[in-house]
Amino acid sequence: MAYTITEKCNGCGACVRLCPAGAISGEKKKLHTIDADLCIECGACGRVCPQSALLDAAGTPCVMIKRSEWPKPEVLLKACIACNICVDACPVGCLVMSDVPRDKGVDAFPYLKDPRACIGCGFCSKACPADALVMKKPAGAAKTVAAVESA
Amino acid sequence: MNKPYMGKILMVDLSSGTLTEEEIPDRVYEQYLSGMGLGAYILYNRMPAGADPLGPDNILGFCSGFLTGTGSLFSGRWTLVGKSPLTGCWGDANCGGTFSPAIKHCGYDAIFFSGISSNPVYLYVKNGKAVLKDAGDLWGRDAVETEEVLKKQYGPKAAVAVIGPSGEKVSLISGVCSDRGRIAARSGLGAVMGVKKLKAVVLEGVQRIGAGDPEAMKRLSRHCLKWVNFPLPLPGWMLGFVGAFLRVTPVVFPQDGILYSSILRKWGTGGMNQTSIEMGDSPLKNWDGSNRDLPMSRSRTINPDIIRSMEIVKYHCYSCPVGCGGICATKGKYPHTHKPEYESVLALGGLCMNEDLDSIFYLNELLNRAGMDTISAGATAAFAVECYEKGILTKEDTGGLELKWGNTEAIVALIRKMVNREGIGDLLADGTKIAAQKIGKGSEAYTVHAGGQEPAMHDGRCDPGFNVHYSLEPTPGRHTLGAHLYYEMFQLWKRVKGIPKPAPLFTKNSKFKVDGEKARMAAACSKFMSLANGAGMCMFGLFIGAKRVPTFDWLNAASGWNRMPEDYMAVGERIQTLKQAFNVKHGIEPRNNFISSRALGTIPQQEGANKGRSVDIEKLAEGYWGEFGWDAATGKPKEETLRKLGIQ
Repeated sequence: MAYTITEKCNGCGACVRLCPAGAISGEKKKLHTIDADLCIECGACGRVCPQSALLDAAGTPCVMIKRSEWPKPEVLLKACIACNICVDACPVGCLVMSDVPRDKGVDAFPYLKDPRACIGCGFCSKACPADALVMKKPAGAAKTVAAVESA
Repeated sequence: MNKPYMGKILMVDLSSGTLTEEEIPDRVYEQYLSGMGLGAYILYNRMPAGADPLGPDNILGFCSGFLTGTGSLFSGRWTLVGKSPLTGCWGDANCGGTFSPAIKHCGYDAIFFSGISSNPVYLYVKNGKAVLKDAGDLWGRDAVETEEVLKKQYGPKAAVAVIGPSGEKVSLISGVCSDRGRIAARSGLGAVMGVKKLKAVVLEGVQRIGAGDPEAMKRLSRHCLKWVNFPLPLPGWMLGFVGAFLRVTPVVFPQDGILYSSILRKWGTGGMNQTSIEMGDSPLKNWDGSNRDLPMSRSRTINPDIIRSMEIVKYHCYSCPVGCGGICATKGKYPHTHKPEYESVLALGGLCMNEDLDSIFYLNELLNRAGMDTISAGATAAFAVECYEKGILTKEDTGGLELKWGNTEAIVALIRKMVNREGIGDLLADGTKIAAQKIGKGSEAYTVHAGGQEPAMHDGRCDPGFNVHYSLEPTPGRHTLGAHLYYEMFQLWKRVKGIPKPAPLFTKNSKFKVDGEKARMAAACSKFMSLANGAGMCMFGLFIGAKRVPTFDWLNAASGWNRMPEDYMAVGERIQTLKQAFNVKHGIEPRNNFISSRALGTIPQQEGANKGRSVDIEKLAEGYWGEFGWDAATGKPKEETLRKLGIQ
């Protein structure tokens, strides 16, 4: 299953620039299409589309959300087992492992190195076997990033 | 329902530059899983009999695990497969890091290379498109440097597997490197990549990896997490004494791997350095010495506490909660290095009687960058030292190097020569067996190899199980397929019906008694590890015990099958038999792969932990091969066995 683009699309290209799988193609100002083999259902296109032209895998229309309000992962270091699964699951590469150990620990920790690149897909949180990542609205997320960087 | 496998492979013909995607039928995964199983299936069916390992007909495969990326833990291992130029047999090498999920993210379960390119190339895969690119400016660079260049170009998320100069120079003991020093080193498959002129594989996919029942996967993983990361109240200085106790005690109990996972967590594999030397598990002085040659007062330089003090941060492979690796700060040319593993420390240290830890750190990084196997490199250096000490090699031969036991400077210089293939190094860069053939003068007596491959740093005279697997496996000389100790820790009897449970207390000497039970135990280890290599599981995780690390349940939850552990053991048996059938197809006589007599204790040692011990490999072979339904005398799978397992 994959996301699909409806006739409402005006070909602005916002989704093309964002799609981490390179699945969307189309000429500027013309109807775009999604390659179902490449689509990973991250939903970024649906969140960014000003025309609400996207249908998700179940056929439900997507609603545009202001990018500053997209959810971002918050890391709960106490639960984190440093297994790298979240970093691997991130399709953008904005979540990375630190080069230094966590405070009072020996393991590295995942942190949102590039919050502006995060597309809010939540794959990291879904993949975490220890439930150490929670998707939160930006205010909380911004605070966590700062907290983690200072740690 | 989501499947845990991608159902596709990529076949790359380097001679013609064609790349072909192929769908693999579900039945193949049901019979062989992916990983090593899929690799064996493809290589057995597609490689013409008698193919030259260094010719265009050899196929080199990068295979990800069946469970990789499904939400299971300890499942981040990938298997490199090919016909080994070192042994001429089935060759495989296993590696962790982050490369295994990257293969699946590109939409493939495995990527295979055949043919030989006319100029250096690398494979680049992104968004379902694979291309071969020119690697002219990468050729000649070391593995870490190449990875840095490629990651600068493609971004830090790109997964890179690469050969170093050692592979380029077709040294038969070279491997394939990823993550700045995790290396699939065994079986000499780096040489195959080198001869194919394939410098690197760069993967940048984002395809998602499914699982039949993701919730069940998570539930099982959470259950498993309860059993890892137990704190160990044992200080590092005591580890040698633990080994000494294990040496003197006549009776032992089956060991619980939870203790080992705690050691791995705290120190990494190096936690066993001194324990192994003291108990007689580590071969010393080119397999001729004993623990008396390297007493605790001398081996304290490689105490794991010292190594740990240089660690900056732990290194976890993909999906591993233990994190036995580490990134260390070092003195000298390279500021950072992967923490040297037990095998590296003992091969470059104890086997050459070298106690200088700084030199071991340096050599570890040097060999990782060159893409050379630390085990084989250390063993070959030790062989050269013994030849020099015995007068077979002269100062003229060595280019002025004073190759004495423990002469750190000379050993470092020798290994540098091996990496660069200069002077005596050129002679030694293909391992001990070939070196001995070139040197002659009776030097063969000082080689220790199984079928041409140097065994790992676990002495089969201490645990005869190691000699069984070194000698009788389709991949000779490998230590990650079984041993008496591994059997105790796998605790398979708790999940699989019909396999023996060790007595709660037994004498150490009873391990050397050849009986049907030993054969069943060894066969169970091989089946289980073949299954694990198909699933992409890490042996260290499996040490925690079959009941605590739910491999069989993960396989069921990921695939949606409803199979019993015994059914999965049959999958392992099928993979193992297919590998042996591969060897037979290529004209290998399994009997020729028995490990050298020195390691068997044919002339037993006169002192030390393994005093008076010898292993009757002939008798063990009959039992082990018979257990698989292979001819007990020749080791070749019988017709009815192949038929029963559905191998054509």
